[in-house]
Amino acid sequence: MSGDTFRAYQTFVWVPWSAMERAVVVGGWRTPFVRAGGDLAELDVLDLAAAATAETIARGELPVDGIDEVIYGNVSRPVAYHNLARELVLALDLPASIPAASVGMACASACVAVTTAADHIAVGTTTSALAGGAESLSNVPITYTPRLARALVRASQAKTLPRKASSFADIRLADLAPVAPGMTETSTGLTMGQSAERMAAINAIPRADQDRWALRSHERAARGWDDGRLAAEVVPLYRDGHAIRTDGHIRRDSTLEKLATLRPVFDRAHGTITAGNASPLTDGAATVLLMAEGRARAEGRTGLVAIRSYAYAAVDPGDQLLIAPAYAIPTALRRAGLALADVGLIEMHEAFAAQVLSTFRVLEQNGVGTIDLDIVNVMGGSIALGHPFGATGARVVVTLANEMRRRGAQFGLATVCAAGGNGAAIVLENLG
Amino acid sequence: MTTTTATVDIASIAPAGARFERPGADGVARIVIDRPTDTVNAIDPPLIVALAEAVAAARAARPRGLVIASAKVDQFVGGADLAMLAAWPSATEISEASRAMQRLLDELAALPCTTVAAINGSALGGGCELALACDYRIAGDAPSLRIGLPEVQLGLLPAGGGTQRLPRLLGLPAALDLILNARRLTARRALRVGLVDEVVHPAALARVAAGRAATASKRRPAGGRTALERAATWLPPVRAIVLRQARSRVRRETRGRYPAPFRAIDAIAIGLARGMERGLAAEAASFGELVTSAVARNLIALFMLGLHQRRAASAGLPREAAARELAVVGAGLMGSGIAQAGAMGGMRVRIRDVDDAAVARGLAAVRKLTQDAGRKGIIDRRSSRRVISRVTGTTDLSGFHRADLVVEAVFEDLALKRRVLAELEAVVRDDAVIASNTSALPIAEIARDARRPERVVGIHFFSPVHRMPLVEVVRPARADDAAVARVVATAQAMGKTVIVVRDGPGFYTTRSLGVMLGEATLLLEEGARIEDVDRAMVAFGWPIGPLALIDEVGLAVADHAGRTVAAARGMTVAPRAVRLLAEAGLLGKRGGAGFYRYDGKTRTPNPRVYELLGSPTATSAPVPEDIGDRLTLLFLNEAARCLDEGVLRSAAEGDLGAVLGLGFPPFLGGPFRWADARATELPDALRALAARHGERYEPAAGLLTGRPYHR
Repeated sequence: MSGDTFRAYQTFVWVPWSAMERAVVVGGWRTPFVRAGGDLAELDVLDLAAAATAETIARGELPVDGIDEVIYGNVSRPVAYHNLARELVLALDLPASIPAASVGMACASACVAVTTAADHIAVGTTTSALAGGAESLSNVPITYTPRLARALVRASQAKTLPRKASSFADIRLADLAPVAPGMTETSTGLTMGQSAERMAAINAIPRADQDRWALRSHERAARGWDDGRLAAEVVPLYRDGHAIRTDGHIRRDSTLEKLATLRPVFDRAHGTITAGNASPLTDGAATVLLMAEGRARAEGRTGLVAIRSYAYAAVDPGDQLLIAPAYAIPTALRRAGLALADVGLIEMHEAFAAQVLSTFRVLEQNGVGTIDLDIVNVMGGSIALGHPFGATGARVVVTLANEMRRRGAQFGLATVCAAGGNGAAIVLENLG
Repeated sequence: MTTTTATVDIASIAPAGARFERPGADGVARIVIDRPTDTVNAIDPPLIVALAEAVAAARAARPRGLVIASAKVDQFVGGADLAMLAAWPSATEISEASRAMQRLLDELAALPCTTVAAINGSALGGGCELALACDYRIAGDAPSLRIGLPEVQLGLLPAGGGTQRLPRLLGLPAALDLILNARRLTARRALRVGLVDEVVHPAALARVAAGRAATASKRRPAGGRTALERAATWLPPVRAIVLRQARSRVRRETRGRYPAPFRAIDAIAIGLARGMERGLAAEAASFGELVTSAVARNLIALFMLGLHQRRAASAGLPREAAARELAVVGAGLMGSGIAQAGAMGGMRVRIRDVDDAAVARGLAAVRKLTQDAGRKGIIDRRSSRRVISRVTGTTDLSGFHRADLVVEAVFEDLALKRRVLAELEAVVRDDAVIASNTSALPIAEIARDARRPERVVGIHFFSPVHRMPLVEVVRPARADDAAVARVVATAQAMGKTVIVVRDGPGFYTTRSLGVMLGEATLLLEEGARIEDVDRAMVAFGWPIGPLALIDEVGLAVADHAGRTVAAARGMTVAPRAVRLLAEAGLLGKRGGAGFYRYDGKTRTPNPRVYELLGSPTATSAPVPEDIGDRLTLLFLNEAARCLDEGVLRSAAEGDLGAVLGLGFPPFLGGPFRWADARATELPDALRALAARHGERYEPAAGLLTGRPYHR
């Protein structure tokens, strides 16, 4: 059944599970990732999402009436965008008939966007979807203290001026200070960095190993830019008569010596985690174009990479907050019918070098297998490239799919850890 | 027949187009206007009679309120039926019709009940005057709605009391601005100036209008909202200053060629000084004179040609939809203008240039043009953001595969255009059309090596694209009709008037213009002075002198186009001035010097030009003849040859192309209309010039047939 007939068919008839379609990644592109407060600071999250998505539509050579659905992830969401994905459809003037949903799983949000789109394609409710995520950490929503916020709501509901005034009666001076969103786990009270320190301690990851991993990330990212592989997935942002084209955080002059001089941030006395071996706060967006395999083939598209399987796992945040990928990975592999050794390429989100190395350690301890470091993050990871929370899940999928095509790798694994103790793993299969 | 208002002329006409609906439970009656077999409710005598009857019925029914509404979709009431006006021969008859309209609106205004116009769509000219005669105007928030008194654009003035009621409603300064600039306001702008009282969702219009008619009281316009506006309207000394300023501005802008704005100012002035009755009389008298004047007839004819051209442009072509996905190569002035026009026309546009800086500049230009359009009220601001987001930029050809039409707008260089064409053919779909934007290069030459020459068409945009209303579509011999049709439809979707011409060097517009510009430089060699040539042409009615125009275009480009045209015309001696200047490094305005020297905002004739040309004298030699007439006649002759040779399909397209693309004096109606007007003496005048200046003035065959070009 060709893509079009299939689409017409599924408009009227619920396609049963037995007719499941494979979802394929047709292409994906991202904006440059730039440290928060940098070149992208004046763009809000919708601008970033629009830039990545407009280019994905154009470079994906997709007529806009060929889009069935948009699913988008974002973490620190401005209050104005109740549904960022839908705002994206409207901002790009895509057909107003495209339904759109925003999804969230902290740093794995875009993974959820991708796998949800893949599910919809599998059951036949969608034949093509734009999935991705965006983050503007230059523009996090600043809020008021709960007491002031409640007073404001009361005042807005009050009918008379005296009543409006009396709404503010028990506000104290301290309530007037704005509140920035925290990086603290609500359930544990620990910051992300403190949680990572815990992982480093539990898994005995020395500072030197962490710094080495960070240096490797920068070196490989620099190489990825130099040989054009990263340029191929990054679209320029044109703004006020100039173009922003490259990632802003990669340090070509980094050395182990320099990294060793940095002071630990989260535990000044005994800590190992520094600004150098952690991912920076970043602005950026990434979008993936997914299609039903049948439709993609009917349109003559080549270089398809299928979503072979995926898994989510979760752990107690009070234990090792970012270790869940170590549990999602074996599940995803089992669902794919593969062993770790079958995987030819891995893209793993680097929240902290300590988290990456801890994950390797736990995978080994649990008997999943030993990771071949040569196939991990071959163009660097989030430490060097940056980590716009909502976008990273889509970035790893795009980078993985592109590099699998280049290497002819048959199977690839993308994995992302997330605040709250969640973890995602997605297995891709190169259809050649 | 029981009419209270119609005169002898009009009494015999059967009423049609308006019906009175008796008051309902809310006490509100309605007059519904629904002119049969006409989508715009244009005003003609039967409609005036029907409205008069409806108003009489409304007076007799004594409703609490009255709503005037239209039964048409997105259209309230149009202006006077232009076809009818053009056919009426006598000024007195036309004045009388205008009086009938005025009396009708006086009757409406004098009704004792509250009257409300429910403006559901465009109300221009007479439709606006009808609304002005009501106590209140409520507009539906329809994007296509425009309201205003644009009569002066057609060489007329508002003659249904518009020159009287508008200043009394808005104050003199605002009324002058609206009438003299022929503004067509969107609903929101009309609300801002006070022309309408409320803007509501179209679905709520009928209810809101009825509600206001039932509850609001009658009112008397104040002549402006601020004390200053009221002073300008009612205090004679202040009024005199405002009127004097308006007259001097109009004099500067029309150079005495267009009487209508002056007549409008006069009618306003008389009405405010000596009372509305006198004002109305002045309005009607002027209307009769203007309608029968050559200027208005020519302007109306052009306007009608433009309307007719919407369909005539695709005559003989298959039906094709406009491109939805447009791609543009070249993000310079032309490319970005074309991209922006496409996005304004609802297309999704991909624009490509060689490097980031060029793409970024092009996208910034698109953004600026669109934001300006939002600021000027051409589109609303929300849609301006959507227009901007429909345009993306790239330095490669990604996104070109999905394009229905690619417009190539790179520099005018044959080899470059061929290379770009080859690159494009490698990536576009087989059913895509590639249009080359060029002002002179023959498309057949550009497409010589094309893999699919049948999909290659020419498209000639004029600069600046967002302001110039014409597009010349060039149809090469090998092109598919369907490909040509898609380009025509796309240019029309961009809001352009399209003419279709045969392929050949310079096509129609550049060829005719080039011949005239070349002749202007020959005048210099005959001893004319630079400023005299330009001044004569501006006085004749051209927007800019030919030598100043060459400076604007740039001498390198002009030389290139001139040679292309000269070669095609088989001219053995091409005018040499442009090449001499270009070779001497005088490259035009951008280079600082050409026929003029440019210093900041001032320009002075460049004496080096006379040296280079070895002109007989640089002192003031008396010019032997009327320069404006001579040069424009040569233009006309060349245009006529284009029609003889089949470069042009019709005289109508020749007139539209010359006026809309090149600024041929609109009051002459275009070269072919001008030829018709002087048909009897034209061949002799041209022969006399040929005897003096050469065979290029020998009248074209079409001018000797004795048949007029139009009708």
